Amino acid sequence: MTAPHQYRLESVRKEFGRQQVALEGFDLTVAQGERVALIGPSGAGKTTLFRMLNCTIRPTSGRLRIDGEEVRELYGRRLREMRRRIGTIYQQHNLVPRLRVVHNVLSGRLGRWSLLGSLASLVRPSHLEAVHQALADVGIAEKLFSRTDELSGGQQQRVAIARVLMQDPEVILADEPVSSVDPSLAESIIRLLITISDQTRKTLMVNLHSTDLALSYFSRVVGMKQGVKLFDTAAAQVTPELLRELYSGHVPVNGAAGRVREAEQEVGEPAHWGAA
Amino acid sequence: MDEVRALRAGARDRTRASTYVMLALLGALFVWSYQGSEIDLGLLFSADGGGAIADYVKRLFPPDFSPKVVAEAVVGAWETLAISLVGTVLSAVIALSLAFFGARNLVYSGLLYEMEPRRRFGLLRRVPYLAAKAVLNFLRTIPEMLWALIFVFLVGLGPFPGVLALGVHTGGVLGKLFAEVLEDVDLQPIESLQSTGAGKVQILFYGILPQVLPQFISYTLYRWEVNIRVAAVLGFVGAGGLGQRIHIALSLFLEQQLLTLLIALYILVTAVDYLSAYLRRRAV
Amino acid sequence: MSLTPRLPGSRSIFPYVFGGLFLIVLADSWRRAEVNPGIFFEPEGREHLWRFVTGMYPPELSWEFLELMVRPTIETIQISVMGTLIAVVIGFPLGLLATSTFSFQGILHETEFRNAGLRHGLKVCLYGLARALLSLFRCIPEFVWAFMFVRAVGLGPFPGVLAIGVAYGGMLGKVYSEIFESVNERPLEAIQSTGAGRLQIFFYGWFPQVLPNITSYTLYRWECAVRTSAILGLVGAGGIGQQIQISIRMFNFHEVTTLLLILFALVAGADYVSAKVRSLL
Repeated sequence: MTAPHQYRLESVRKEFGRQQVALEGFDLTVAQGERVALIGPSGAGKTTLFRMLNCTIRPTSGRLRIDGEEVRELYGRRLREMRRRIGTIYQQHNLVPRLRVVHNVLSGRLGRWSLLGSLASLVRPSHLEAVHQALADVGIAEKLFSRTDELSGGQQQRVAIARVLMQDPEVILADEPVSSVDPSLAESIIRLLITISDQTRKTLMVNLHSTDLALSYFSRVVGMKQGVKLFDTAAAQVTPELLRELYSGHVPVNGAAGRVREAEQEVGEPAHWGAA
Repeated sequence: MDEVRALRAGARDRTRASTYVMLALLGALFVWSYQGSEIDLGLLFSADGGGAIADYVKRLFPPDFSPKVVAEAVVGAWETLAISLVGTVLSAVIALSLAFFGARNLVYSGLLYEMEPRRRFGLLRRVPYLAAKAVLNFLRTIPEMLWALIFVFLVGLGPFPGVLALGVHTGGVLGKLFAEVLEDVDLQPIESLQSTGAGKVQILFYGILPQVLPQFISYTLYRWEVNIRVAAVLGFVGAGGLGQRIHIALSLFLEQQLLTLLIALYILVTAVDYLSAYLRRRAV
Repeated sequence: MSLTPRLPGSRSIFPYVFGGLFLIVLADSWRRAEVNPGIFFEPEGREHLWRFVTGMYPPELSWEFLELMVRPTIETIQISVMGTLIAVVIGFPLGLLATSTFSFQGILHETEFRNAGLRHGLKVCLYGLARALLSLFRCIPEFVWAFMFVRAVGLGPFPGVLAIGVAYGGMLGKVYSEIFESVNERPLEAIQSTGAGRLQIFFYGWFPQVLPNITSYTLYRWECAVRTSAILGLVGAGGIGQQIQISIRMFNFHEVTTLLLILFALVAGADYVSAKVRSLL
């Protein structure tokens, strides 16, 4: 056997409570350094999948292995170590609003720090150079000491990315990273993520509402619907029919492109993918 | 790096200095207060003081459930409930009669007065507003217990001075809250009413009261919860209710009766909390 | 006044039933509370009122009296500060324990990754105990606490401090726990996903979220404590309350005026200070 896959999921199932099944019979294999986009209507279980991939929740049944390690057997220190190796960018940024930007970025380091060290850093921030560099990479170096809730949505998203840069993980999971920013910024953020993954050979998985972005920037696209994998193929193989099936009964809600497509679907015209 | 240093210096200028000064002042305040208030925590844990407390707690048990004491507790609780209820109603009446004058947007400024010719009566218009604010502040600042002391002198012992004490103090509190609610009223419905040619009183009844009434009720109910607790101690200065009986039990070292009364108080307060929470949910 | 809102189109009979009940209870309470507004118009009541109002002017401003009042005034402030401090010391830990998302569930406990067991049960018990204690502290009024502490540790400001500490500790603890429960868990999840431990999540994600709110509420409670400590003297627990009672009982109403002015100044000062501190948050 060659090097273990980054992720290997076998018939993973996740249910919340009794009836609510979020994910069902899910198989997925992701190699190290690979870049994958996940698309699908809201409620498809993409966020649930990501929360499993970053070890926030665990599968109800089925096998989930990360880098050859069975997640079910991870506890305590080893679980934390695994989490440290996986960085996540969330849809709502999930920053602490009252903290300064520097502390939010530094919280990416917490997995490496002792408790006392992290407390000291709250009083007097450490690694300022590195934080400054990370913020410079995402283009908001001057916000180092600003309060996080004073920033705009797009700037907060950049802080969240800087936090992941600080964490320096092996995998970056980005859950709808561009749903709260305007289209031009969305593209630049996706490009930034791809550059990061390119330069450091990080595995990158992105949840996207916008099929345009997914198809134009990612070579591999996974389509999900109602907790089930619908397709998993190269971007070039994704046909309008496939997408229509993916979104039937749903309309991609995000962005102008989505709305145009909705109109096109109504008059029965085939959509022009990637034209945006 | 210079840039980092500059950014940090800027951040520090804005907050650090004031934070440190504040913390230092706070520390000084604590030390000063500690010395002045004759705190002796050792006393609590010493054999003497701690023993005294433990002794006291022991003497509370078992509660005295003889029919006479229980009847007394029930009557006291009922009287306390009555005081709190009538007192709260009185306070709502006082608040309602003053709050409208205490809301700037109803008395002299804002949308309702946009089209008035300027300077007619000028500052004179502010007089009722200022007067209402002053009265509300006065009523609010004197605590219920002091009002009770004063009313006991004016009308004699019994539950009535308790009612008056609750009424005037809470009237001040509610009046201020009501006035704030009135000032925060949503202007759009009022604007549309005004554009139909409605008069000020009509606007009050059709545009403003429907908006604020649920909040008025909610605040009044909340104050009722506060008042039931206060009503329970007004008796300490001779204003009836459970408090009077608790005061007697405390003064005469009737600890087992005291516990019975405290249990009655606990039940009463909890019941009122639940009732008020339920009503607030219904009302809002 | 009816306690139910008049919602147009609402056909529920609740408002009528409740309104009727309310009127009955109010009538009964009116009788029980011995409400008698006429008393102000009877000769005796009128005389008392007249005596009180005329007696209040002019305020007693003689030097000896003012000098005598300095000590209790300062004491009032000190009692309020120390009382609030003790209330925080009591209320904060109990409030934490009385918060479900801190004691036994949610992100800090990794319920996803651990099975509920004996430890979980123990945590739930602690939570219940803390809530019960807070409710006990809150339900007994400050005055009763003060009287009991006077019995235990003697007259003076100390029982006043303890009374405020315990009673306000209960109130603070309850409101703190409400603030704690409303903490947004999303940032916590993000911090957890970086591999942070529980205490790190607490200090980086949890504490910064609650700090401004609990500071603000504590300041508000301190304002209330100033007022309370001014009257706890009625049961012998220090401050200017004792003097107010004496002055009223001795019919020295001009002294009452002075004392009320002092009280106004104290309350206004506390108001000003806490507004100032809040603006720095």
